Amino acid sequence: MGTKTTVNYQVEKKRYYNVLVGLLLLTTLTFVQPYVFQAGTFTAQMFIAVVKAWLILMYYMHLKGEKLIGSMTIFALSLVTIFFVIVIAIDVTHFQFADESYITSGSLGSEMDISAHTTHGGE
Amino acid sequence: MSHEYIPEIATDRDGNEYEVQGWQDDFYGGKLGFWLFMFTEVMMFGAMFLALTYYKTLHPEDFLAASHHLNRLLGGTNTVILLISALTMGLGLLKMRAGDVKGAKLMIWATIILAALFLSIKGVEWREEYEGGIFLNYGKLLPGSDFPFGEKIFYGLYFTMTGLHGVHIIIGIGLMLWLLKRINAGKVTTDHHIFYWNIALYWDIVHLIWVFVFPYFYMIGGGYVVGGAVHGH
Amino acid sequence: MSKTYFDETHCAIGHPKSTFMQWMLTIDHKRIGLMYAAVMFTFFFVAVSMGFLMRLELFAPGQQFIDGHTFNQTFTLHGVIMIFIFIVPGIPAIFGNSVMPLMIGAKDVSFPRLNWANFWLYVAGCIVALSSLWGPNGFADTGWTFYAPYSLTTNTTVLPLLIAAFMLGMSSILTGLNFIVTIHRLRAPGMTFFKMPLFVWGIYATGWIQLLATPVVGITLILAIMEKYFGIGIFDPAKGGDPVLFEHLFWIYSHPAVYLMILPAFGVMSEIIPTFSRKEIFGYRTVALSSASIAGIGYLVWGHHLFTSGMADIAKTVFSFLTFFVAIPTGIKFYDWVATMYGAKIVLSTPMLWALGTMITFVIGGLTGVTITMIGVDIHLQDTYYTVAHFHYAMLGGVVFLMFAGMHYWFPLLTGKMYNEKHAKIAFYLNFVGFNMLWFPMFIAGYLGMPRRYFDYLPEFQIYHQISFFGAVIFITGLIYMFVVLYKGWRHGEPSGTNPWHATTLEWHLQSSPPPLENHTKVPYVDFNPYEYKHGEPVVKFDYDTMKRID
Repeated sequence: MGTKTTVNYQVEKKRYYNVLVGLLLLTTLTFVQPYVFQAGTFTAQMFIAVVKAWLILMYYMHLKGEKLIGSMTIFALSLVTIFFVIVIAIDVTHFQFADESYITSGSLGSEMDISAHTTHGGE
Repeated sequence: MSHEYIPEIATDRDGNEYEVQGWQDDFYGGKLGFWLFMFTEVMMFGAMFLALTYYKTLHPEDFLAASHHLNRLLGGTNTVILLISALTMGLGLLKMRAGDVKGAKLMIWATIILAALFLSIKGVEWREEYEGGIFLNYGKLLPGSDFPFGEKIFYGLYFTMTGLHGVHIIIGIGLMLWLLKRINAGKVTTDHHIFYWNIALYWDIVHLIWVFVFPYFYMIGGGYVVGGAVHGH
Repeated sequence: MSKTYFDETHCAIGHPKSTFMQWMLTIDHKRIGLMYAAVMFTFFFVAVSMGFLMRLELFAPGQQFIDGHTFNQTFTLHGVIMIFIFIVPGIPAIFGNSVMPLMIGAKDVSFPRLNWANFWLYVAGCIVALSSLWGPNGFADTGWTFYAPYSLTTNTTVLPLLIAAFMLGMSSILTGLNFIVTIHRLRAPGMTFFKMPLFVWGIYATGWIQLLATPVVGITLILAIMEKYFGIGIFDPAKGGDPVLFEHLFWIYSHPAVYLMILPAFGVMSEIIPTFSRKEIFGYRTVALSSASIAGIGYLVWGHHLFTSGMADIAKTVFSFLTFFVAIPTGIKFYDWVATMYGAKIVLSTPMLWALGTMITFVIGGLTGVTITMIGVDIHLQDTYYTVAHFHYAMLGGVVFLMFAGMHYWFPLLTGKMYNEKHAKIAFYLNFVGFNMLWFPMFIAGYLGMPRRYFDYLPEFQIYHQISFFGAVIFITGLIYMFVVLYKGWRHGEPSGTNPWHATTLEWHLQSSPPPLENHTKVPYVDFNPYEYKHGEPVVKFDYDTMKRID
């Protein structure tokens, strides 16, 4: 039913190329960034990725104007974010056994008895 | 389906008529269903990124060192290839909707070639790593090696995630070949292109995943000074 | 509507002549639902017999019939079948398929052929899971949770199980996807979200859990396979991997999974209570929205399975805090049901009996859950029979009891026959008594320190295990009795008519029972609430030929 929407080919095509230029610029930025400043590389890289993802979602995947699918996407993405907040920001960042745990010992594992250190919860 | 579907009409008590949406010929339903499917991809890769971030938090220095070692030139080339393939895929769909079936088919072939190119470059990269002694169940990644934990896990996940992404590319190529077959059989037409639409969406999500995979593996250690930090801590 | 070849055959491929092949290839949602039921209950009895084998072994301290290793395999088989094959697909696959489209006035689900493929993916998953029984070193002995690092180091056959769980998960994801799209797209005209029957709300909330949580466990299983066979290192402490991460990822799915099981069950309850109270449900919106909020909060509480695993203290506190919140929407539902029954002339038919029985058992299961949400208490009771009893009270006494309630409720709809009420009630009482006798002593044994998954125990626990054993005998008798009653009803029962319970929702407004291939003759216009009763009789009446209201 909704399939028979007519498209304005030239306008749409132009939009595709505009977005392509934007994405290429951002990709270039990705390459330049680590050599401009090093502190915060990770944050900067992820920020650029998010902007790129937003462009792809909105224009290449035609999410713009999709109310229902858009809100579902937001729901799914916020769920992933919450997983990150809980597991990373609340749990691992506060890892309590860094000094005594085998997995963070950083030492060479070959000669150590592994079975005694299977989880970092063992006291 | 090739047959004509005529929607049913429901009537309320005042005699107003409402068209009933059937499961047949439901363009929006098909699109919605595929979006929901893509959420599962997001959750899958989200969980892997979660694992990756978990170990990045535990071994930040190892991750930078390992990332620095990856081949940014090849990875970057692949990024651009995938970017252009997303464009060809989108333009193909656009041509199809505008009625240019032949142009659409050309665009699909272009996308397939770019995808194959991506895979070849990926293969070269993996081979390079292998020759440098880094591969799954091999060399520095064996339990007995003195490679730092953080780097072992970094490479373990690097091979898993780029590998799984590669599997998605291969599936994508298969889907595009199937799409060409359906177009030739007249089952995907300018009026009835939900199948094409969804494959284009699939290709975009494959691209989207790479948009995050690339910086997370290749770029975070881009400006890292080797030897500037002691491995492990 | 123009009939086509495809519409008339209702098969995914071709147009088979034999009835058998028509069933195997059917895309008709009702038939698929029934086929799910047949496969599931077959496996259910396999798993029940595994449970009974464990009870036999535990009748006295020391080794009786099976050794410790076999005991481990037994509870793994019991857990894997019950969780992945029986209860996770459970109510959505059986009643979501066979009843939900009828309830919203749809002709079928949105993707009928996907539905068919899902069923066969599910069957294939079951076969792969069982193939592990004949693996080189015998069936897996890891428990259904496949905890790393043991699942990575054991030499029993884990791989087919991991693959099977992935396949079953995939089937579950796509079923959920199908239902979400169906509910969004195929509701009859006029039926807004707040005019849907509450079972549909339960299925909708469940669909979102299936869709968004299952992929996480899917990838976890793949990562575990990668770990076991390619040594990627993330779960293997020898390479610096952290098994706690496995638990995180596993429970990100598996905790919402219990809400995935219970939400459609609550939906069944919300259908049965107003029907047999002959009253509109109290607080329709709160019941509907509490389903959604249980699904939402359910995503955030998985960490209470990790209280003793070595999570950060702050994370434990946060998870404990969040877990308490689940009790709120659940409590809202219970008060709404009780308020619905208040002052009503309750008809004590078998489905209502099952629903009322569940109210008791699930409240016990739910409230003991609140006790072990507290970190201190949990450290004492984790991995004891207390937790086992809590889980079975919530899942068996909640989900499966309500599945049985639904079976009795929709039995006349799906078969067109009525079972013998008297015998069905006897079966209920046997089940109810047996169930409580089987699991209640475990609360005490667990509180006193009986650890789970042990095939041997100290003599002071013997009395509890023996009461449990006799409970199990009564319970299994009741189960067999119930299925015999239903079978007899199906073969020799009286015709039930289209609406034996005087129910109001759309699935009872059909011109024949069992429902014809394309469901309602015509799609009705829905301008009424799902549970409208006046003086104990349904308000809305239809002319079944034109599906126009005649009240």
